Amino acid sequence: MLENLTFVEHFQIWLRAFLILSLFSFLYKDNIFYKFSEHIFAGLSAGYYVGLIWRSVIVQQLINPMFDNSEWWLVFPGILGVLMFARLKPKWTWVSRVSLAFVIGNTAGIYLISSLHGMIFKQIAPMMVSVNQGDGLEKILLALLVIVGVITTLVYFYFSKEHKGALGVTARVGIWFIMIAFGAHFGYTVMGRISLLIGRAEFLFYQWGGSLTQIF
Amino acid sequence: MGFWERIANIDRRWIYLLVALSVTLPMIIAMKFPIGLTPEAKQLFNAIDALPDSSAVMLTFDYYPSTIAETEPMSVAALRHMFSKDMHVLTVSNIPLGGPSIAERVTRAVAAEFGKEYGIDYVNLGYRANYVAVMHGLASSIESIFMSDNTGTPLRELPMMQNIKNYDDLDFIYVVADNATVDYWISIVNAQYDIRVGSGVTAVVAPKMYAFVESGQMTGLLGGMKGAAEYEKLLGKKGTATRGMDSQSLVHLLVIFFVIVGNIGYFASRKKEKK
Repeated sequence: MLENLTFVEHFQIWLRAFLILSLFSFLYKDNIFYKFSEHIFAGLSAGYYVGLIWRSVIVQQLINPMFDNSEWWLVFPGILGVLMFARLKPKWTWVSRVSLAFVIGNTAGIYLISSLHGMIFKQIAPMMVSVNQGDGLEKILLALLVIVGVITTLVYFYFSKEHKGALGVTARVGIWFIMIAFGAHFGYTVMGRISLLIGRAEFLFYQWGGSLTQIF
Repeated sequence: MGFWERIANIDRRWIYLLVALSVTLPMIIAMKFPIGLTPEAKQLFNAIDALPDSSAVMLTFDYYPSTIAETEPMSVAALRHMFSKDMHVLTVSNIPLGGPSIAERVTRAVAAEFGKEYGIDYVNLGYRANYVAVMHGLASSIESIFMSDNTGTPLRELPMMQNIKNYDDLDFIYVVADNATVDYWISIVNAQYDIRVGSGVTAVVAPKMYAFVESGQMTGLLGGMKGAAEYEKLLGKKGTATRGMDSQSLVHLLVIFFVIVGNIGYFASRKKEKK
């Protein structure tokens, strides 16, 4: 049950309800209310991001450290950032490649390490353990299932030889594992999308409904 | 046109209407579908429960407002669990659109339930751009990345932050996310700085995360609204996730019904075509 709402709170709830219902109206057919809400969302998001980047990057990470803490070396990344705008003039596009080279090199280095450490080594390591760990038949069967699943799926993505004979049979088993994975993803995606709907429906039912009850 | 062909060509708006009815009906009539517990949810709950009282934990709000039906109940349940054990909670967000303000609203509301004080029991760091750099930077010094909290108060003026300088001072990181940031909490923070990470993620993200739980990189996992409802059940305090699960279960039954009817219709039409 909602506590007594102020005029501003009522207005906020009604505005949210209007925008939600306008967006949902697309399910019946495209209309002006849907387009209106969609454009408001796009415009607000763009404006918010511009303001946010200005405050959290330009001001907090460049201007403030330079002028408050005398971190003058930040002028170099600042110049690299300015060079990116050279792309706006075709004749000067090549200048922006200096900044892009830095970004690409830096990103590749950081992501390579995190992928190797966090994804590849740590995911392969559990595959290397013995299937006979003395944890009972269930654990052994599950370990075998994982090994079969990994190998057959990898074989499916081996395209240098035609999938015939033993290779074809193994690849077909791999397809089954891939399909089961897709099924799990589909099931979870349904749950996720329905959760979004439930969130909006609960807002309309409890908050907008509460506001309606208080007004009328 | 036969019955199955009519079913196969039904106006999709009837399906939308049935889904809408299935979502709203449990809000009028409580159905109380059972909520089973998964080992991954129990693992996360037990990991938090096993931490000593007054531990320092980080809770992330890496989600957009559009997914709060799934993620906010996870944050609320986690905060209730942490505050009930008098933990010091440091919140952070790697999502600019909504994350920091959701963290502010949710944390203050739950803290008020337990009589916790800002700056002493919990601190909201807010948002900084480039989460990969942020995750690496927090390892050496939190203050080098966040000189002030979400409201602009310098960290050195907050009592709780006198004892929390970097990851070494944290006992656990509880990631609530609806996007790829959770990958980096694992591949950067867990893998390179050896901090235990548990997570609550949206249903769309969850399937990929099971591999990290199996490999031991992640300590427990909550998947979508169901995961949040599980945590609420383990905590013994029902919340919005438990309430939403009635609608969720009813819609799932409807989707299963549609899948079965659709397949029967498909095979019946194919059989007719062959004839």
